[in-house]
Amino acid sequence: MSIPMHEQVKGILQQVQSEPPNILQALLVLQEKLGHVPLEAVPEIAHTLGTTTAQVAGVLSYYPDLRVTAPGRHLIRICMGESCFANGCGRLLRALQDCLRIDVGETAAGGKFTLDAMSCAGNCAVAPTMIIDRDLYGRVLPQQIEVLLERYK
Amino acid sequence: MTRPNIRMHSWNSSFSIHNSPFSVSMAVRLYLSNDTSARAAGAGLLADAWSDRPEAQLIRTSSRGAFFLEPMVERDSPDGRLAWFNVTPEDLPSILSGTGGTPVRSIPFLAQQTRFTFANFGETEPLALDEYQARGGLQGLEKALQMEPDAIIEELKISRVRGRGGAAFPVWNKWQVAQQTEADEKYVVANADEGDAGTYCDRMILEGDPFRLLEGMLICARAIGASRGYVYCRQEYPAAAVTLRAAIHEADEAEWLELDGEFFPIEVVEGAGSYVCGEETALLESLEGKRGVVRARPPYPAQSGLFGRPTIVSNVLTFATIPQILSRGGAWHAALGTEQSRGTMALQLGGRVKQPGLVEVPFGLSLRQVLDQFGGGMAPGARFKAVQVGGPLGSLFPASQLDIPICYEAFAEAGAVLGHGGIVVYDHQTDMADLARHFMAFTAHESCGKCTPCRIGSVRGVEILERIQAGSGTVDDLLLLEDLGETMKVASLCALGGRAPYPVLTAIEHFPAEFRNRLGQ
Ligand SMILES: Cc1cc2nc3c(=O)[nH]c(=O)nc-3n(C[C@H](O)[C@H](O)[C@H](O)COP(=O)(O)O)c2cc1C
Ligand code: SF4
Ligand code: FES
Repeated sequence: MSIPMHEQVKGILQQVQSEPPNILQALLVLQEKLGHVPLEAVPEIAHTLGTTTAQVAGVLSYYPDLRVTAPGRHLIRICMGESCFANGCGRLLRALQDCLRIDVGETAAGGKFTLDAMSCAGNCAVAPTMIIDRDLYGRVLPQQIEVLLERYK
Repeated sequence: MTRPNIRMHSWNSSFSIHNSPFSVSMAVRLYLSNDTSARAAGAGLLADAWSDRPEAQLIRTSSRGAFFLEPMVERDSPDGRLAWFNVTPEDLPSILSGTGGTPVRSIPFLAQQTRFTFANFGETEPLALDEYQARGGLQGLEKALQMEPDAIIEELKISRVRGRGGAAFPVWNKWQVAQQTEADEKYVVANADEGDAGTYCDRMILEGDPFRLLEGMLICARAIGASRGYVYCRQEYPAAAVTLRAAIHEADEAEWLELDGEFFPIEVVEGAGSYVCGEETALLESLEGKRGVVRARPPYPAQSGLFGRPTIVSNVLTFATIPQILSRGGAWHAALGTEQSRGTMALQLGGRVKQPGLVEVPFGLSLRQVLDQFGGGMAPGARFKAVQVGGPLGSLFPASQLDIPICYEAFAEAGAVLGHGGIVVYDHQTDMADLARHFMAFTAHESCGKCTPCRIGSVRGVEILERIQAGSGTVDDLLLLEDLGETMKVASLCALGGRAPYPVLTAIEHFPAEFRNRLGQ
């Protein structure tokens, strides 16, 4: 039997208690452990941290990196920053969309890939940049997409 | 097209810190960068391919920042370092036999630079404290520890150094306010959010010379009387956070992370993908774990910052500039650059230039000089259209305006900003209406929502630009856009809303036909 969500949340948060509570860091730790921050866990998070649900929900909705739904097994992030823009990230994005048949923010059927956009990975001199999970790729060409994605199961 | 194009690195795997002391003595020492971009260019691939070659002893250094040459491999010679460019795994035999290398000191991109803050790059291992010290590291801190806080601030005043994060505020002034404000605790915060797309010098420092940042923060702490430090690092820089934490650990072990015999803790805190969190007051909110919304100023962070205590928030590059100002003296720093912009600036070339990379030069070279001398002109097949300086909020310059000197005063006069030193070149294929929409959409997406001109204005701006792109815009739409831009400029609470109109309006100003020809009836 799996541990109920609120027990899991409590267990994780007890390791990061601070005074005053740091909501953002607590949510980041939860996301790292659970893959996302489930909305139904917000009351439990607020309770454990000793703050209000409004505060927690406010922080959760504010930060682009915090997700309330589970992403696919692999997260693809494509840089839309200016140097990548100048180096054709638009064509790269279209190639990805065609290949995966999803739009930015969506997860492909079967739950393998989630496609996201980002703004600058600091790899601007080796652009365009694409990140899959924790692997960073530079000087990526649209025609390389298929081969690249095949590395991820 | 023989160059292997798919390059990757993993943050998890190849984190070599020091090479083994037991390596085979006959092995040739080869220097290979461990910088994220060098790895993305193929350095990781080389390290993997050569990991079982006993004849090569790989030393993972920082990057020189000549990214167009990466992956670059170097070895020692009587003539100084020799380098091989755009290396593939098959090049190992020629490198080992020493054929075909170029003396590093004769690479024009590097030889024409004036490297102070980036002097160690490509030379040292990021976490080798002995190498850092052998090359002058910690001398600034030693000096500061023997000086009264007032004297440190006076030295900065003499140096005339200004903040490198964007606002270009005199550093001494901020420090003095924090020093003179009474409080039970004070803090030093390094802004490592580096949100401007097209900039990467902070990332290079964090990954490549992290002790320099720590040294700068300690000098600041000594001057203002702070007891704790934080580095707010953007989430997009995982390797930077790992290296910095390791550096903090090393510094602690070596017992120089202290002031007046007291441990000076420095904590690395990661962000969560919000651009506006680079703005100093939003950053402090975020550091406290709250929504990263901009605070109204005054009070300034130097008076009331983190948890209401006096706090110096400064950019990573700013802190990294401080140690040499102390060790070489403020007058040394003031002797470089132009009237209002003293010292050197780390420019970061990107976009469609032939030679993207890091360029440290004294303020005052013209934009054209930088693009020609260092950028090497345009990438093959690309023709120049415009260059943007200062990140996503920076103005666009057409070919006719490239003689502007790179310094704060000339940019201010032109209504532009130097920002954090990002320079992105766009080529003839760039659709200016699409680019303008891209900028506005960025602001709409990143607005913290605190003030109406930015929150609503940016959304209206995107709607108008989308109409123009779709061919149904009118002349009135262009006028409306200009009006909207003026309102955002004067009425926004922070520079996100206040600067957002600049790239859009300069695109329209310099490339009017691309907008007008698209208008419907
Ligand atoms: C929207 C916005 C984003 C900013 N992003 C950054 C950033 O990523 N890094 C940075 O150092 N400063 C950034 N700044 C400037 C900071 O507010 C602040 O001026 C700077 O950190 C002060 O450091 P300095 O005095 O060393 O320049 C930003 C400002 C605004 C308005
Ligand atoms: S200008 Fe935009 S980002 Fe800045 S305070 Fe106003 S709404 Fe927030
Ligand atoms: S603009 Fe894409 S990595 Fe910087």
